[in-house]
Amino acid sequence: MTAPLTETGALGAAGALAAALLVGIAFGWCLERAGLGNARKLVAQFYLTDLAVFKVMFSAIVTAMLGAFWLSRLGVLDLSLVHVPETWLLPQLAGGAQFGVGMATAGLCPGTACVSAATGRGDGLAVVAGFLAGVLLAGAALPRIAGFFTSTARGVDTLPARLGVSQGAVVLLIVALALAGFAVAGRIERARGARRVA
Amino acid sequence: MTTTRILAGVAALLAVGAALMGSPAPAPRGGAVDVAALAREIDREADHVTAVELAQWIRERKDGLRVIDVRADSEYAAYHIPSAERLGMAEVAALRPSAGQTLVLYSEGGAHAAQAWVLLRAAGHQRVYFLRGGLLDWMEQVMNPVNADARVAELSRYFGGVPRAGAVPEPGATLTPASGAVARMRRRGC
Repeated sequence: MTAPLTETGALGAAGALAAALLVGIAFGWCLERAGLGNARKLVAQFYLTDLAVFKVMFSAIVTAMLGAFWLSRLGVLDLSLVHVPETWLLPQLAGGAQFGVGMATAGLCPGTACVSAATGRGDGLAVVAGFLAGVLLAGAALPRIAGFFTSTARGVDTLPARLGVSQGAVVLLIVALALAGFAVAGRIERARGARRVA
Repeated sequence: MTTTRILAGVAALLAVGAALMGSPAPAPRGGAVDVAALAREIDREADHVTAVELAQWIRERKDGLRVIDVRADSEYAAYHIPSAERLGMAEVAALRPSAGQTLVLYSEGGAHAAQAWVLLRAAGHQRVYFLRGGLLDWMEQVMNPVNADARVAELSRYFGGVPRAGAVPEPGATLTPASGAVARMRRRGC
């Protein structure tokens, strides 16, 4: 059987939605167990006192990347069926900056805000309401900003293509960066007394 | 040794293995071609680009783009898509594109280029496309588009084309300096 099952039609439409729900719940549970539903925990990374967010997210990236590579290599996953989002350079840079400001201000990103809201935190509920309002406003303003939204299109722009190296080489590069990052993060936390937020 | 160190070691080993393998595409078993995977690509229409898409790629100087004309030398000499290089089918089959390269193959109508696409995909090359409709679509959609929107019209002028408003031009009508070559193709068929 070849994955992704949602793309090969093996699950059907209802099965794909059910799978999305289950994966979403599992992801949220992991975030909650890692303490990422707490805004103080997320903000602590900006003060370099608790870098759990950095480590959790980079671990997730490395795990998914290695899993995708090797499952494909073993013939279990058909990577040609995995959607790779296209790049629109300036609008995505602007969106990323806006996202970063929002995250530093609220202490939550959309995923962790959902987790925070699900556990009954008021700040989580406020952030969810805020980003849903932002989505609606952006949708309403789309006709006026459509030109910017579709500017600087780069198509599917990937690191292997950009660097002119194999996908395996990029996997090694990212894992090396992650491991070095974890080591540096550990040193920083130890140097600053590792005031972990529960 | 802590669990963290063990996990880090496993990740490092898998990453080094990935770098040695290079591509995540599974090796064909016993030289067999994964025809099911190719069929899915064709079904999803992920095997080709349109003439307008190709024109945009050329204009934007897409990184690693190689446009390959698989027609005869004389046809290539008469007219070819800007930046294209000519290669025979045997040369195409022997191509070893690097990971960063994107190949776009074209022929007159698309049939030969589609065959070349199958050869390269069967050899395991990932970023390979053929021009849907071949040079004929290039002429109709890029060099002489009819009632094109502003974006396509501007793209057409970039390549020295003549966008037109109104009725579809008669086959063989002289619209651009290159259209004579297309007229000859139409008469001969593809």
